[in-house]
Amino acid sequence: MLKKYSLPDKVFELRYRSSPFDDVRFVRLTQGGSLYPCQKHYLKAYRNSVTNQRKDKNMKKGILWTAFIALAMVFTLALNVSAEEGVTDTEIHIGQWGPQTGPAAAWGSVARGTDAYFKMINAQGGIHGRKLIHHMFDDGYNPAKTKAGVKELQEGTGMFAWVSGVGTAPGLSVKDYLMERKIPWIGPSAGSLHWITPPQKYLFNVYPMYATEARILCRYAVKELGKKRFAIIYQNDDYGKNGVIGAKEELAKHGLKLVAEIPVDMKEGDLKPHVMQLKKSNADAVLLWTNVTHAVKTVGISAAMQFQPQFLSTSTCSDFPLMMHISKGLWKDVISATFAELPDSDNPLMKKYKAEAFDKYAGKDERWGLFYYAGIAFAEPFVEALKQCGKDLTREKLVKALEGLKDFQGISGKIGYKPFDPKDPSCRRGQNQSFLVQCLEGAKAKKLSGWITVTE
Amino acid sequence: MIDFLQIIVNGVTVGSSYALMGLAMVIIYKTSGVPNFAQGEMALVTTYFTFMLLHTFGLSMTIAFISALVFSFFLGCLLEFTVMRRAKEPNILGMIVITIGLEMVLMGFVSWKFGAEQKVMPFPITPYDSIMIGDIFISTLELLTFGMTLILMVLLFIFFRFSKLGVAMKATQQNNAAARLMGIRTNQVMMLTWGISSVVGGIAGLLIAPVVMQPYMMWDPLLKGFAAAVMGGMTSLPGAVLGAYLLGITENLFGGYVSIEFKSVVAFAVIVIVLCVRPSGLFARHYVKKV
Repeated sequence: MLKKYSLPDKVFELRYRSSPFDDVRFVRLTQGGSLYPCQKHYLKAYRNSVTNQRKDKNMKKGILWTAFIALAMVFTLALNVSAEEGVTDTEIHIGQWGPQTGPAAAWGSVARGTDAYFKMINAQGGIHGRKLIHHMFDDGYNPAKTKAGVKELQEGTGMFAWVSGVGTAPGLSVKDYLMERKIPWIGPSAGSLHWITPPQKYLFNVYPMYATEARILCRYAVKELGKKRFAIIYQNDDYGKNGVIGAKEELAKHGLKLVAEIPVDMKEGDLKPHVMQLKKSNADAVLLWTNVTHAVKTVGISAAMQFQPQFLSTSTCSDFPLMMHISKGLWKDVISATFAELPDSDNPLMKKYKAEAFDKYAGKDERWGLFYYAGIAFAEPFVEALKQCGKDLTREKLVKALEGLKDFQGISGKIGYKPFDPKDPSCRRGQNQSFLVQCLEGAKAKKLSGWITVTE
Repeated sequence: MIDFLQIIVNGVTVGSSYALMGLAMVIIYKTSGVPNFAQGEMALVTTYFTFMLLHTFGLSMTIAFISALVFSFFLGCLLEFTVMRRAKEPNILGMIVITIGLEMVLMGFVSWKFGAEQKVMPFPITPYDSIMIGDIFISTLELLTFGMTLILMVLLFIFFRFSKLGVAMKATQQNNAAARLMGIRTNQVMMLTWGISSVVGGIAGLLIAPVVMQPYMMWDPLLKGFAAAVMGGMTSLPGAVLGAYLLGITENLFGGYVSIEFKSVVAFAVIVIVLCVRPSGLFARHYVKKV
C-alpha cells in the first residue's frame, strides 16, 4: 500500500503494508522534511522485523511443501505398486476421442463403433472378470479440445490406455503427452507417418499408413489403368501431406511426377478455385486426400465443370453408401483404398460384430458403415492383448502382449508388432495391408484386388 | 482470358451466398446496432426444419419451403422475444456475447436432434448441374442463388426506404428513445426485424443445403457474410451485397493467381484493410454523433 501524505513543503511516502506503524506517527514530520532521529531508529527496527517475519513465513511454507511433496510421492509409489492406473478388480478404464460435431463429424461413428464393441465384450463377461469402461468425448476435430479432454480424463479419472482417436492433428496434439507418461495408445484412427517415425514404445499403429495407401492407388492406376498425369487435392495438414509423400515416392518409381498439388483448408467452403486448378493441370487421375465433404464437393464441381479424371480416394472416403448418398450418385466409379472388410462381407467375425455389437447397441439412426466398424477394427488388437495379459494387468504387460502379436487378423488386414526398436518403424506399424475397391451403381463395392502388402 | 472470366464468374456466384448472410446480418444491425452471430445457426435450424418436413413428414417441396420461411420468421421473433429482450441493462458487447451463446446453443441443438452426419437435402435443382456459356460454366443452383440475392436486396432496399415499418426500423436504430416518443413500438419493431432477418438467413440456408448439409454448414458463409457486411459498412444493404461480390472475386483471384493455400484467410485480411482505410465501410455514409 502506498500512502502519500502532503506536507506544506514535502511529500513523504510510506511504502509499507498496513502495520501498526502505518499511521500518522511517521508523518508527524519535521520541519525540514527529514525524520527525527528517534523515528529513523523506529523505521529501521520496523524494516528488520518485517524482513524476519517474511523469512520465517517462507521457511515454514518450504517445510510444509517439502512434506507435502514427499507424502504425495510416497502415495503415488504406493498406488503404483498396488494397482495400475485405470485398472480395478472389476474395471478397466479406456479413453477415446472422436468428432461428434464439426466439419469431420462423419468420422464420429468410429468412437461409437468402439463403444458398441466394448459393450458386446462386457455382455460376454468382460476380460478376465473386468468390464471395459469406455470414456469417449467429442473433440470436434479440434486439437486444442482433444488435448484438454485427454488431460481431463487422464488426470481426473485415470485411463489405463487409449484406443483409436480420430484424426492426425488431434492425435498429434496429445502424442507427446501420452508417450511421456508411458500410457499405451493403440490404433490411432489416422494413418500418419508420425505414429511410427520415430516409433514410440507405447504407441501401436493399426491403420495402414496414408502414404502406403497413396502408393497402392498410384501403382494400380499406372499399371492397370495406364494413367500418366496424376494430381492430388489434399487437406492442408499432416493427413493430406502424408498422401502427397506416398504419391510422389511411388510415381517417381515409374518416372512420373504430380502435375498438380492442391492444398485445401479444413474449413474451406468454396472449392471451385481448387477444382479449376486441377482442371487446368489436365490430370487424368486425381487423388482425393481430403475430408468427406470436400471430396464430394471436388467430384461434384468437377462434374459441373465437365472435368472427368479417374478419382482415387483414401480409405477415409471409402464408405461408399455414405459417399454415394451425399454426392447424389456422383461417387460412382471412384476407386478407394480400404483397410477393413466390406459391410456385406461373409467374414464370420463381421457377421458376429454386426449381430452382437451393432444390432444390440447401436443408436437408432446408426448405420453399419465402414467408419462404424473401423472403431471395432482399431480396438481388436488391444482386446486381444488384454486377453493374453491374464488377470494381473499392467501397462508393461500389455505392451509385451501387443509386441507378441504376429499376423493377428480380425476384420482388417494382418497385424503384427515386434519388440521395441527405436530405429525400426515397422516394430509399431501394425498393418501394412490394404485393398482396392471401386464404387458401383447402388453404392455396391467391387473388389479390384485382394489384400495388397506394401513394404517400402 | 477464359480462366480470368471463369474466376470472376465463380467469385460472383460464391459471393451470392455470402451476400444473403450479409443481408441478414445488416438487417438486425441496422435496427439494433448488434452484429448477430447466431444468424448462421438460425438459418441452420430453419434448414433442418425443412429437411424434417420433407424427410420425416413427406410434405411436398412447395409446402415445405413455404412453411420453412414462416417457421424461420417465428423463430427469429421468438429468439428476440425470449432471449434478447430479457437481457438486463443491455449494452452492445453484452448483446453480441448473447448472440454468440445463442449460436452455440442452436448448433448443439441441431447436432443433438439430427446427428452430425451429413444429410442430403431434397431440392428441385441438383447442385452439380451447370450451364455452359461458351467455355464458362455456371452451376444452376448458384444462378438461382444469384437471382434470389438480387431480388431480396431490391425488395429489402425498397422496404427500408419506402415502407412505414422500414422507416420505423431505421428510426429505432438511430434513436430508440425518440422513436418511442414518436409512437413507434420499438419492441415490436425489433421483434419483426429479427423475424425478417431470420427469413433472409433461412433462404441462404436452404440454398446452401443442397451442396452440403451438416450442423457446421453455416459457419463459413456466416463469417464471409459478416466480412462482406463490414466491407459494405454494416448498415447498407446494397453495400453488403456489393461487398460480398467483391469478397468472392478477391478470394477467387487470390486463389487462382497468388496462393490457393492462403485463400481462406483473404476475407479476414480484407476486413482488416477496410477497417484501417475506411472504418465505416466502403458504402456507408459516415455518421458523426454530436455530443
